[in-house]
Amino acid sequence: MPILEVKGVQKVFDNRKVLDGVNLSVEKGETMVIMGGSGCGKSTLLKIMIGQLKPDGGEVFIDGEEIVHLKDSEMDRVRLKFGMLYQGGALLNSLTLAQNVALPLTEHTRLDRKIIDIMVKMKLAQVGLAGFEKKMPSELSGGMKKRAALARAIALDPSIVFYDEPGAGLDPIVAAVIDRLIMDLSKKLGMTSVVVTHEMKSAFRIADKMAVLFKGRVIAYGTSDEIKNSDNPYVQQFIDGSLEAASVSAKDSTEEYIKSLVEGN
Amino acid sequence: MREFAGKIGRSAIGFVKHVGSAWKIFREALYWIFIAPFKGQPCKIKYVVDQMNLIGIGSVPIVALVNFFFGITLAMLTSYQLKQVGSQELMAGLVGVSFTRELGPFLAAIVVASRVGAAITAEIGTMAVSEEIDALETMALKPIRFLVAPRLLALLIMLPCLTVVANVVGMIGGYIIGRFNLHIDSSFYIKLTFDYLVFKDIWTGLVKSVAFAVMIALIGCYQGLTVRGGAAGVGISTTQSVVQSIIFIIMIDCMFNAWFYFI
Ligand SMILES: Nc1ncnc2c1ncn2[C@@H]1O[C@H](COP(=O)(O)OP(=O)(O)OP(=O)(O)O)[C@@H](O)[C@H]1O
Ligand SMILES: [Mg+2]
Repeated sequence: MPILEVKGVQKVFDNRKVLDGVNLSVEKGETMVIMGGSGCGKSTLLKIMIGQLKPDGGEVFIDGEEIVHLKDSEMDRVRLKFGMLYQGGALLNSLTLAQNVALPLTEHTRLDRKIIDIMVKMKLAQVGLAGFEKKMPSELSGGMKKRAALARAIALDPSIVFYDEPGAGLDPIVAAVIDRLIMDLSKKLGMTSVVVTHEMKSAFRIADKMAVLFKGRVIAYGTSDEIKNSDNPYVQQFIDGSLEAASVSAKDSTEEYIKSLVEGN
Repeated sequence: MREFAGKIGRSAIGFVKHVGSAWKIFREALYWIFIAPFKGQPCKIKYVVDQMNLIGIGSVPIVALVNFFFGITLAMLTSYQLKQVGSQELMAGLVGVSFTRELGPFLAAIVVASRVGAAITAEIGTMAVSEEIDALETMALKPIRFLVAPRLLALLIMLPCLTVVANVVGMIGGYIIGRFNLHIDSSFYIKLTFDYLVFKDIWTGLVKSVAFAVMIALIGCYQGLTVRGGAAGVGISTTQSVVQSIIFIIMIDCMFNAWFYFI
């Protein structure tokens, strides 16, 4: 039985179908990467999967339980089964790193304060932030914030961790560190990961399975090799980044822009 | 014309919707303050104490300052008019009743609305745009319990206290005019004050301050929780929060006064 299953999910914003019957299933221990261009509904799908947003149609199963129709109080029970890494980390800025990571533990377990302190140290060490317990989030770089947020997301040892654009806004080296952590969590601890991203490199590095979203539907689904060899023209274009790269470099790099002008004429 | 009617209709519906969602938040906050503690889910005492410090203790100097000067002003204004009927010493009672019934609760609420209401919206709004509130929810931690309930409770406790400060300082302002300008003896000034001041004046003022506290907390939190559009949105909501709080305080004040006046 898949640990996460999405069936025919639809979402309409202002008369526009952002998601138009998305189907997806993720097996236990798998790392699933959901890709797609900007604005194709990746974040929307993620919010629906974690019950933050209600879809206009379709079903979502977590661990065999349908969550779309759950009441908020029942949903809280399901929420303890997964963690979520938000794009900016979403650490509470008024608390130290240790307090942030301890929050789910103090609220949802009856563990002794001393044991919680030890667990917090362990979780922070796991993401390479040992010794940063007393720091405030505002004193950290973006990459460190994300790592601390990851420590918080895995505080209760969830079976699934969701990631919204884990590499966004980070330099390639730091992004690679985060990718490494995601892989470690799934390989060493057997956690299931669901990652939303548009970074090709990172996607192929971490994915067991991939799904490509286009116009509100999953147009390609499979292992990373299957996606690489897909004959769908959009998927190929997306993987090559040909369209994106052309438009981006024209804006970003004057040198290349001039070169393209010269060659064009 | 039809366009105009449609616009009014839509904003009326919008208003009712806002009131409905704010009411829901209020009910949930009351649950976390008054019912959940008896079901083994205690209030976050530390959060409440933090907020009481921030909201209450932090507002004492400015509430005192405003009411002190207003007390002096009111004393001068009334004794100037009472001079015409030759009974300037009645000023003492007038200042006492004005402050306990109206000016103390009102001025304290206005100061707190602009100082604390704005801070509440800015803080919660910043959390909303950086997904901190979504994160709390995803961790199965209730944002109303963690953010709204402590602020509401702190305001419910501290605004009446600030009102008492405002009353006392306002009357001290009046006393300064009475003692040094009208040369009324201290003990006689106090006697004059309490000749006119009845218990009802004091408790009606305090009841009002409780209503103002609910208004400030609710508008501040609601505006914060519903911020859209990044940092700029936080700025807009903060301004709106203060403006709305002040308008609602004035309206509720008028309703209470009508009620106390006619019963
Ligand atoms: N709350 C909302 N109200 C109205 N429209 C929305 C809302 N949230 C998202 N949308 C729209 O839905 C579409 C999909 O948004 P979404 O954030 O899911 O895209 P995305 O794939 O995550 O894009 P990106 O890669 O830029 O993050 C966008 O066109 C967006 O404008
Ligand atoms: Mg997104």
